Amino acid sequence: MRPFLVLCLGNEVLTDDAFGPLVASRLENRELGDDVELLFAPVAGFRLIELLSSRQSVLIVDAIKTGNAAPGTLHSFPAGALTPSNSLINSHQINLPTALELGRQLGETMPSDIQVLACEAEDIETLSETPTEAVGAAIDPAITLIEGWLSDKRQARVAKDSRQGPISA
Amino acid sequence: MKQIVIDPITRLEGHGKIHLFIKDDGSLENCYFQVPELRGFEKFCQGRPVEELCRITTRICGVCPDAHHMAAAKAADAVYGVTIPSAAFKLRSLLYDAFYAGDHTTHFFALGGPDFVCGPDAPAAERNILGVIAKVGLDAGKKVIAQRARGQRVIEIIGGKKVHPVTSLPGGLSKRISKAEQEEMIKIGDEMVEFSKFAVQVLNDIVLANKAYVDMILSDAYTHKTYNMGLVDANNKVNFYDGKVRVTGPDGKEHAKYEPKDYLEYVAEHVEPYSYLKYPYLKKVGWKGFVDGVDSGIYKATPLSRLNVADGMATPLAQAEYERYFETLTGDRTGKTPVHSTLATHWARIVELVYACESVAKMARDEEITSDKILNIPTSIVGEGVGIVEAPRGTLTHHYKTDQNGIVTEANLIVGTTNNNAPITMSIKKAAEGLIKKGSKITDGTLNRIEMAFRAYDPCFGCATHTLPGQMPLELIIHDVESGEIIESVRRN
Repeated sequence: MRPFLVLCLGNEVLTDDAFGPLVASRLENRELGDDVELLFAPVAGFRLIELLSSRQSVLIVDAIKTGNAAPGTLHSFPAGALTPSNSLINSHQINLPTALELGRQLGETMPSDIQVLACEAEDIETLSETPTEAVGAAIDPAITLIEGWLSDKRQARVAKDSRQGPISA
Repeated sequence: MKQIVIDPITRLEGHGKIHLFIKDDGSLENCYFQVPELRGFEKFCQGRPVEELCRITTRICGVCPDAHHMAAAKAADAVYGVTIPSAAFKLRSLLYDAFYAGDHTTHFFALGGPDFVCGPDAPAAERNILGVIAKVGLDAGKKVIAQRARGQRVIEIIGGKKVHPVTSLPGGLSKRISKAEQEEMIKIGDEMVEFSKFAVQVLNDIVLANKAYVDMILSDAYTHKTYNMGLVDANNKVNFYDGKVRVTGPDGKEHAKYEPKDYLEYVAEHVEPYSYLKYPYLKKVGWKGFVDGVDSGIYKATPLSRLNVADGMATPLAQAEYERYFETLTGDRTGKTPVHSTLATHWARIVELVYACESVAKMARDEEITSDKILNIPTSIVGEGVGIVEAPRGTLTHHYKTDQNGIVTEANLIVGTTNNNAPITMSIKKAAEGLIKKGSKITDGTLNRIEMAFRAYDPCFGCATHTLPGQMPLELIIHDVESGEIIESVRRN
């Protein structure tokens, strides 16, 4: 199990809900490293437990509609700070906090470190494979943020490992 | 007249509203339900290569992408007039039964089950999977998660991806499986069968052992005598992936049995002015409004329906459960007397769960599934095709027309839940009638009992739309229809 997971959620045929999948396809062409798993999932609910279990750090990439920010705005917050996006709550009414709590109660090792990177969406109802201009323009900045997140996580891990001393094979 | 809106319905895919029209004397005048759905998808399919629809129609639903993948694949096979190799047929069926084994588990334990396990009057905050675990024990939750993971693993092995299948294409499958993968699936199948026995035990201990629940299941408030629809194999046994569509009447007699390609001869769609929803009905019987009985063309397509139209189950444990189910509910273990109690759908789902698990265990052992003959490459084109599978929520139909290059010119989809739009409307109305009387206080439990009628169908609406930020509360709004003013508002989170 790779310690870092970048989990892109969304639906690539619903205009701005394609943000997650578009980020995923952009990341597929980049060398992220052997310690990272990149996943695109057009699902939510229970399936999140299975995807999140036993990870060290997770970054969830998704579209969001807060109504409090201009479309294309990138929000970054730890999961649990609020019930974040639609994909995270929709399936079977198992939202992310419930999924995490359920996973923990069942004895699964759920990650304590889950960050959400969500792009403010303008339209997530019209069938289209093209996001609105503002959301499309947020993809590049999102990639930079994701690579920054990975770099931070690696540094934190190295620092932690050095504190613990070398682990012999 | 007052209008009550239950908005949104909890614990279903998507979100919806139930509108209840209450007369001044407190009696129920009428009811309908409103749901968001992914409109325009059929048009969205036009102009695309038909083989792409196997991938793109999975985006209609985040819960049963597997069902759309299979219906699309079957329709695409038909468009090219190609028969898939036997090994590919078995692998698709195996994947599909594994999907069922996970999906029915989720519904029973997380969606419908809490109504019984926690009780219909339990606070909404407890009527969920965590509430079930609190009552049945931590071990149950672990088993449910493990069962779902098994289903997902089979989908990954055959379907190629962790979260949804991608390997079906016109003529068969794009990926073969190894001996090691077969061994793994045999083990998974055996574990699934064990889990299904556990699910039966939970049903016995918690639902059937409670007389109040059984009385509720059998009560008139949750009864509708409609036609039923479902796929059956050559022996008239329940099949999820393939077969003929069989329709039986409220009396249990066969009304029709047809090939998927002939569906338009049997099914038509009624439109109501107040709703964009379509209401499918049996063409040869006709639309007579929201009424049941042999003269009304309304039919159900649910686990309950599939058991009603079939003569039995193709595996031994499921057959035994089928007989016990009918004997308990109708006194006739042959299944010839149909069950019309909506809430028995939960029980029917467990019978199907047993079958799905046994079927996985059986098919995983088939030597042919590791064959490399999994694709017959199409060499010509018919230009039209219909694919029908049983989605967990009902008969799923994909119908495509293409040009000579396989580019889609027309698509028609009847998704599982759509079949049940009319019976759901009737079930809600009837349940509400039994519960809402003049002067009676509308409690959380009252609302939940109305929702239970709905929830039994496991409906799934526009669930590919990831809309609505935040938690979805349940809200009851009573309007004065004359003035439009809100008289009363009850909200629960």
